[in-house]
Amino acid sequence: MRTMGRGRLVALAAGVLATALTTSACGNSGGVGGGKTAAQDTSAKVTLEYWTWFPAQATLDKVISAYEAKNPNVTIKLHEYSNADYQKQLPLALNGGQKVDIAGVQVSAMTNTVRTQLRPVSSWESNLPSGWRSQLEAKPVQQTEQIASDKTLYSIPMGSIGSAFMYYNAAMLTKYGVAVPKTAADLAAAAAKIKAAAPGVTPVVFAGDPYWQEETLFTLVGQTSPGLSDTILHGNGKWNDPAIVQGLTEYKSLFASGAFDKSVLSLKAPRPTDLFTAGKAAFYIDGSWNDSLLSAAYRTANKIGLADVGATTVPVVAANGQPAARAFAEGGLAIPKSSTHVDAAAKFIAYMTVGAGVDLWAPDLVLSPAKKGYTPSSAVLNSPAATAGYTAVSTAINNAGSSRDSQQDFLTQVEGNSILDVLNGTKTPQAAADYMQSEWASGRYPHGGK
Amino acid sequence: MGSGVEARKGRSDGLVALLFLIPLLFFYGLYYLYAFGFLAQVSRQRVSLTFVNAVNVGWDNFRLVATDPLFRRSVLNTLLFAGISICAALTVGFLLAMMISTGVRGRKLLYGIFLLPSLIPLSLFATVFGQMLETKDGAFNSLFRAVGLPGLQQDWLGNTGSGYAAVAILLVYLIGLPIMYYTSDVTSINLSLIESATIDGAGTWQIFRLMLFPLLRNTHKTVILSVLLGSFRAFDVIFFSTGGQPGGRTSITGTYIYNAALGNDRVGYAAAASLIVLVIALLISFGQLLLTRKDR
Repeated sequence: MRTMGRGRLVALAAGVLATALTTSACGNSGGVGGGKTAAQDTSAKVTLEYWTWFPAQATLDKVISAYEAKNPNVTIKLHEYSNADYQKQLPLALNGGQKVDIAGVQVSAMTNTVRTQLRPVSSWESNLPSGWRSQLEAKPVQQTEQIASDKTLYSIPMGSIGSAFMYYNAAMLTKYGVAVPKTAADLAAAAAKIKAAAPGVTPVVFAGDPYWQEETLFTLVGQTSPGLSDTILHGNGKWNDPAIVQGLTEYKSLFASGAFDKSVLSLKAPRPTDLFTAGKAAFYIDGSWNDSLLSAAYRTANKIGLADVGATTVPVVAANGQPAARAFAEGGLAIPKSSTHVDAAAKFIAYMTVGAGVDLWAPDLVLSPAKKGYTPSSAVLNSPAATAGYTAVSTAINNAGSSRDSQQDFLTQVEGNSILDVLNGTKTPQAAADYMQSEWASGRYPHGGK
Repeated sequence: MGSGVEARKGRSDGLVALLFLIPLLFFYGLYYLYAFGFLAQVSRQRVSLTFVNAVNVGWDNFRLVATDPLFRRSVLNTLLFAGISICAALTVGFLLAMMISTGVRGRKLLYGIFLLPSLIPLSLFATVFGQMLETKDGAFNSLFRAVGLPGLQQDWLGNTGSGYAAVAILLVYLIGLPIMYYTSDVTSINLSLIESATIDGAGTWQIFRLMLFPLLRNTHKTVILSVLLGSFRAFDVIFFSTGGQPGGRTSITGTYIYNAALGNDRVGYAAAASLIVLVIALLISFGQLLLTRKDR
């Protein structure tokens, strides 16, 4: 009996602990962090904590060194993460009260996740050069402002990215006498010519992952219905709109015509990049972040043995179509509420967005800079194909018909797979479009259908 | 007197036991109960990873998860893949383990081949396997071409049948741990039983089927439960190999929950899906517990 009593005592202690912990878990959720605005440190020597995922660390080290040389009282401590990790690391860090002075924000993917932990730009723009807005392209700034659910500007975009674009092995096309394709028929003819001349080469490669299928679909849809992507993703259109059905049909027709080979759908990123950079593919369809491939210096530094690379828009499929792309602001720089050095952080952001820092990171060609008038030097783009490619991509980004936006959960669970089902012949374009619409309106995807 | 001393000793023992238990209870509470409590709370909210501005949505998340055909498919796939793994472990795994234990030639090589996936990160192993499934340059189709059987080439991730076949091939290869269980437990079998059977004229197959297999009954149970519950944690195996393709048809609960959490304010939805999966896994454990008790 006594033993039973002590057993109860132990059980009771465990129960009390369990209840306390469970209750505290329940009690704390929903209110952790709180986004308090930190008091300012007025010391002469400043160390800025800079969290980001972009650009490459080697580039950032160069930019930071140059800035620190000009500002001896400032030390910048860089915390760089991989793209996917960063989307989770930054919100958790800010929510946990981590001191961050400058935060890189993936404008489309992260603004609304972290905005409550950020200071609005209006609260620190007095530290920016006067007229800073006029030094930037209006569209990326406007997109950065509009993406926030409260329509407030929380970060200043370093530039824009767009998709889909078609990179090509210019030396290979010259070797086999293939002209840069402008239409789907041109592309099918080019693919046939390359297949015949070099059987080991895959004419066109791109990622077969679900996420990429949206990029190609909306590029094709944008050739005839430029704003439809925005309309649907903002909840004002339907996924079974006739233009989407037509886009799906056109996408599938590229396989039927021989422009694309179905084996490409089994390639997962980054395999298409590997194949293209190894000279095993003539065309590579992907986003503008691959503009780096246009740079001979980049190719040399990364041991890519391609002699010359060009870029163009995705060939037009419909007779009445126009070249199209979707683009969006990227590389937002923000000041979190936890920053204790707002003045110094704002000055560094100015350096990175409208100042001399742009000339140091922009030659990587990963972003099309938001700073007006930036042109890469001839040392970066040293061939007619590269120069023409950069112009084609930049022009398409500046004239993009829709924002390069997506709803990640819907994309990975429903949309990407539905498009693949059409390409694999499992569903008809109409059935896939109807399924997407029914799921969009199901309530499972909170920012989806109304 | 005697009973008083005993009572004091008993109380003292109880306190000592409690002292030893406190660290365990603390960590158990910290890592499990706190997490479960947090998960339960969040599962009734619409909230982002920052966990601020949470909106209470009641049981909506549970209703939406339960009515999602993709979720139901992922649960069925998880159970199906667990079934395939169990069958592979109880047949191929058992036979290989017995071969290894009986000193067959090349046993070290066999052991190494099947244990390899258990020694390297599964994500790496699954990534390599995923690349082997490529239609044009993948190892499987290249092998079929090389041995003059081009007709066997598959669009592995292009249709449902070959997608499931690819997962089955992968799962059959992942039987290293069951082999370890069997090779370890077979040493506890009384060898005189085998010797008697051999003297009585039993063949190798009869010894395998009628003696070793029943004698390792408890190992089978361990293997079944570990493989079954392990299948609920097989996220990396599927995510890095088929990625759920074709068309999400080889998705399991792990990949479903991962993808569900990607959108804005979707942490609550993913938490609800996690809790449902947790309940299913607990029910399976409970069922196994009942069956084991019956056996006793």
